[in-house]
Amino acid sequence: MLEIKNLHAGVEGKGILDGLSLSVKPGELHAIMGRNGSGKSTLANIITGRENYEITSGELRFNGKDLADMTPEDRALDGIFMSFQYPVVIPGVNNTYFLRAALNAQLKHLGKEEINAADFMRLIREKLKLVNMDEKYLSRAVNDGFSGGEKKRNEILQMLTLEPKLSILDETDSGLDIDALKIVAKGVNEYRNKDRSFIAITHYQRLLEYMQPDKVHILIDGKIVKSGKMDLAMEIEEKGYSWLEK
Amino acid sequence: MKNFEKQFTDLLINEPITDDRLRTLRTKAFENFTQTGLPTKKWEEWQFTDFRALSEEEYRLAKDFDLPSISGKIPGKISNFYTLIFINGHYQPQLSQIPDTISVITGADYLKSNPNVFSIENETSEWISKSNPFVSLNTSMMNSGLPIRISDNSNIKKPLQIIYLTTDTTDKLMNHPRFDIYIGKNSKITILEHYIGLTNVSYLTNAVSKFNLANNSQLSHIRLQEEDGASHHIGFTSYNIEADSLLQSSFITNGALLCRNDIKINFTAQGSHAQINGLSVTKDDQHHDKHIIVNHSNSECQSDQLFKFVLSDDASGVFNGKVVVGEDTKSTNANQSNKNLVLSPSAVMNANPQLEIYAEDVKCSHGSTTGQIDTEALFYLRSRGLSHDEANRLILNGFVSDILEKINDEEIKLYIDDAVSKKIKNML
Repeated sequence: MLEIKNLHAGVEGKGILDGLSLSVKPGELHAIMGRNGSGKSTLANIITGRENYEITSGELRFNGKDLADMTPEDRALDGIFMSFQYPVVIPGVNNTYFLRAALNAQLKHLGKEEINAADFMRLIREKLKLVNMDEKYLSRAVNDGFSGGEKKRNEILQMLTLEPKLSILDETDSGLDIDALKIVAKGVNEYRNKDRSFIAITHYQRLLEYMQPDKVHILIDGKIVKSGKMDLAMEIEEKGYSWLEK
Repeated sequence: MKNFEKQFTDLLINEPITDDRLRTLRTKAFENFTQTGLPTKKWEEWQFTDFRALSEEEYRLAKDFDLPSISGKIPGKISNFYTLIFINGHYQPQLSQIPDTISVITGADYLKSNPNVFSIENETSEWISKSNPFVSLNTSMMNSGLPIRISDNSNIKKPLQIIYLTTDTTDKLMNHPRFDIYIGKNSKITILEHYIGLTNVSYLTNAVSKFNLANNSQLSHIRLQEEDGASHHIGFTSYNIEADSLLQSSFITNGALLCRNDIKINFTAQGSHAQINGLSVTKDDQHHDKHIIVNHSNSECQSDQLFKFVLSDDASGVFNGKVVVGEDTKSTNANQSNKNLVLSPSAVMNANPQLEIYAEDVKCSHGSTTGQIDTEALFYLRSRGLSHDEANRLILNGFVSDILEKINDEEIKLYIDDAVSKKIKNML
C-alpha cells in the first residue's frame, strides 16, 4: 500500500528524513516510535503533503502512485488520512457541514452520488456512538471549544466517516487520559480490517498495548534504526532510546 | 467643486419655492460645503480615503425624466416585507406598502412640523457639519428620502424594507437621500435599508439617515449596501437612543467602488444597549471606509461593536472606531472588536480602534487584528479532501458567520448570506 524507499526530505531547506525506508501492506498497523525531533511528524507531513515539506530524493508511493507532486486533497481523495496531533480550530465552520462536505468530496471522487442530509445524519449518529461522542459536537464549529480528548475523538470520527485506506495517527495518544485513550483505540480497532492500513506515531508503548501493532519501528535522526514487534516497544519503554544510538 | 456649484444653482432655479427657510438652509449648508471642500488626505478622520474622483465625475442631480419604467419584480425585494421603494432617487408610493403604524410625510410637511431644523446657527446642528462635508452637501441638495414615523406602542412583526435602487441610467447621476426615522416609545421594528445598483454608469449616492429611538423601543436596523461596482456611496447614519432601548444594527457593505460610512451613536438617556456590527467584503479596486463613534454620554448603557473586513485583490479598507465615555457617567460597558482578513499582498487594511474614557466606573475592551487565511486551517481542510478553493471558501464563510448570526430576521439573514457567499466565491 505504502512504499517508501531511501527517502530524504525536510522542511524549508532543512534535511530531516535521512534515507528512510518503510513498506506498509494492506491490513497492517505499523508503529513509529522515536524521540522529539527524530522525524516522526515530518514523515506524517511528507505523506500527507503539507506545504513547505519537500522530498529531496528517494521514493514515496501509495498504491503504486508517486505522491511527490500530489496536492493534499488528491492524496486524501486517494485514501490517505491523518489524525492530527493538534487538530485545528476553524471558527464559524459547522462540524456537520464540514464532515458532510468532506464525505461528499470522497463520494464524488469515487463517482458515487452525494449523500443527502438525512442519510448523512443517520450515518454520523452511528459513528458518534463508536467514539462515545455527544451529538452536540456536531452543531459546533470544527474543534471549537473541544477539550484535548474531544478533539482527538473528533479526528477518529472523521476517519470512521471518510473511510480512508491508510490512516496516520500522529501522536493520537498525547494529552489523553486512560479512558479517552481506550475509546480512541476502540474506534481504531473497530475500523481495522484486512484492507486498511495504519501508521501510529507515538512516544509511548501505552497506545500500542491497546492496538497491537504488526510492526514497530524506531526512528532516530531521520532513519529507521531498528524494526521489530510489540516486544521492541516494551524494550523501549524499559531502556529508552539511547542504546540504539551509535 | 465647480460642478457641485452648477448643480446647486440648477436645483435652486428648478425647485418650487415651498418655504423660504428651506432655501436659506440649503444655501447655508452649501456655503459650508464650499468652505470646507471635499475631505483631503490631510484631514485626520478622512486620510485613508481618496475623494478626488467625486469632483472629477461631474455628477448631475437626478431629475424626473431619469425614472425608468419598472415592470416585474423589484430587484432585491424580499417578498412579504413592508416596503418603501425609491428608484433613481424617486419615491414610488404605488410600489410601496406600509401598515397604518408606519407613516411617511413629505419633506415640506416635515420641515413645517420641525422648525428647529432651521435653527442652523446652533453649533450642534446635525444638518450642517464642518467635520463631515457630505452631511452639509446632503442638506444643501437633499432631493430624496422620506421622514418615517413608527407610532408609539407598535410591535411591527414584518420588517420594513427600504429599497433604494439605481438602475438603467445613461448619465452620471447623484442623489442625496435624507431619511429621518422616528421609532415611537415602546415600539419594535426591523428595518432593512437596502441600497442596490444595477447600471454600469458611475453614480453617487450620498445618504443621511437619522434614527431616533424613543424610550423603551427596539430597533433592528440592517443597512445593506449593494451598489454597482462603478459607484460611489457615502452614508452618514446617526442614532439618538433614549432610555431603556435596544439597537441592533448591521452594516453590510458588498458593493460600490468607494464606500464611506459614518456611524454615530448617542445615548441620550440611561439604560440602553447598542450592538453595532459590520461586514465589508471587497475585491478588485474597491475601497470601504467605516468610521464609528459611540458616545456614552449617559450612565448604565452598553455598546458592543464587531466589525469585520475581507479584502482581496487590490482592495483596501479602513476601520476607525471610537468609544467616548463621558465625565460623571456610571456603569458603562463598552466593547469593540475589529477583525480583518487580507487575502492578497496588494490589499491594504487600516485599522484604528480608539477609546476615550473620562469616567471611572467603566468596563471597556477593544482590539483589532488583521491577518491572512490560517494556513494550518487550510491544510486541515484539504487533508480531508476539500479542494484549495473549497477550503478557502469554508474558512471565509466561517469568518463572516458571526456577523450574519447577529441578524435576527431569518429572511434577511438568508438574503445577505447568499449575497456574501456569492461574493466570496467570486474572490477565489
